[in-house]
Amino acid sequence: MFYKEWIKTRWALLFILIVTCGYVGYELLNFLRAIGAMGGAHIWIAMITKDEPMFVRHLQYLPMVAGIALACVQFFPEMYHKCLKLTLHLPCSHLRMMFQMLGFGLCALLVCFGLNYLILWLTMRSSLAPELYGKMLLVALPWYLAGFAAYLLSAWIILEGSWARRIFNLVVMFLCLKVFYLSSFPDAYVPFLPCLIVFVLACVLLPWISIDRFKKGIE
Amino acid sequence: MENVIECINLTHYYGKRKIYENLSFSVPKGRILGLLGKNGTGKTTTINLLSGYLQPRSGECRIFGQNVQTMDPALRKQIGLLIENHVQYQFMNIEQIERFYARFYPGQWRKEAYYELMKKLKVAPGQRISRMSNGQRSQVALGLLLAQNPELLILDDFSVGLDPGYRRLFVEYLRDWAHSEGKTVFLTSHIIQDLERLVDDCIIMDYGSILMQCPLNHINDGFHRFHCQLPERLSDVPAPLLNDKQFYHPALSLTGELELYSFLEKDEVEHRLQAMNIPHGPLSIDNLDLEDAFIGLTGKY
Repeated sequence: MFYKEWIKTRWALLFILIVTCGYVGYELLNFLRAIGAMGGAHIWIAMITKDEPMFVRHLQYLPMVAGIALACVQFFPEMYHKCLKLTLHLPCSHLRMMFQMLGFGLCALLVCFGLNYLILWLTMRSSLAPELYGKMLLVALPWYLAGFAAYLLSAWIILEGSWARRIFNLVVMFLCLKVFYLSSFPDAYVPFLPCLIVFVLACVLLPWISIDRFKKGIE
Repeated sequence: MENVIECINLTHYYGKRKIYENLSFSVPKGRILGLLGKNGTGKTTTINLLSGYLQPRSGECRIFGQNVQTMDPALRKQIGLLIENHVQYQFMNIEQIERFYARFYPGQWRKEAYYELMKKLKVAPGQRISRMSNGQRSQVALGLLLAQNPELLILDDFSVGLDPGYRRLFVEYLRDWAHSEGKTVFLTSHIIQDLERLVDDCIIMDYGSILMQCPLNHINDGFHRFHCQLPERLSDVPAPLLNDKQFYHPALSLTGELELYSFLEKDEVEHRLQAMNIPHGPLSIDNLDLEDAFIGLTGKY
């Protein structure tokens, strides 16, 4: 199953990896340029007094877009001419196959987002105090969780056979994702992060609803 | 004889539209059975019910004795499925798709059967399936089914989009494989000539029910078209003819020629016409191919 998912998504994955890392790199160049122009001390003071996610703010929708893009690349070909029938006809448990497909996508996003975080961390730790760059990484965490949620919710929508239900799912997805963007105030999400993680994990079961409806021939 | 497929009292509706009610049929092991029916009679619905992608309102489909809705996934190794339009993973090429499927069928996968068929295709091994013609895609799908070497094949409208050459290649490969290895095949096709070359038995579906299930030679040898000139100009087919269940779709042409189809012998038809007091000229009898027989059984419209 991983082989099929890899063949299907490898170029898109490379593209998503380059775009997300490139965008993170671009934002970090701005950060380094600001340090060079105004000096580290000035930036530190600005970050403490303004108490807002400078430099990483523009990244907030990037993981969500990456998650939606990966879901599209991975699941639209399955629905093209109802190709999913081929997958479901393979001699394996349907639930296991679904988890393998989603597991592949989640792992791919984890690698991509992990690399983004690594780049952020390696660059910022050379110029900022641990408290400052820790805050920035914490601010970005709900956005990256939104990337995973967007991937799973998009899979739920794409695998759905009925257009009316797809639109309903789309509205639910929009409302769910809104929860990840309620505030960009540092530490705002800290007490709520475990709930967000549980929510993302629970989203893994949603595509099963669509697959089950597909198996019943609901269109 | 052991039945590989058993459909028992199937009832299915799309919304409020009834497709069929209490439909039952079975497919014995080692037979090639073709499902014939006009558009909208439920052929694809039957295939979808059999392959487990549709839940009937009532009744059940059993394959190898197991209900398709709750079937052990491992049993799907013995069922080959060809989806309408020869759908396969478009993003793979010939080699990748073979490598992918081979891992699911350890011990039964016949790589050489697949590549033997692929040699006939004039495509590079790295060419993606999405860039192939319908005919080439059909050969890839057939090659994968032959490599899987299942005990049962279910084919949904295998001839759709194929030119005569590819259709013939498909039919011949399939027939030789099924007969030489004693496999069971259940299929539908819009091209009745293809079915005639391929199937042992057929089920003819009408709207809402099965018209008949019988060996193909029962139709080829026993079903005939009769026609005769009626001396009187009639505006309608005589009522007794319409009521006799032994006659299928009696019709009058504009020139006053009576045409009817039946499994009866010529003498018996003659006798019945006389008994109904229908004066007529000499009665002619035509042998029919399957397509004509299908029209005779189901009507032109």
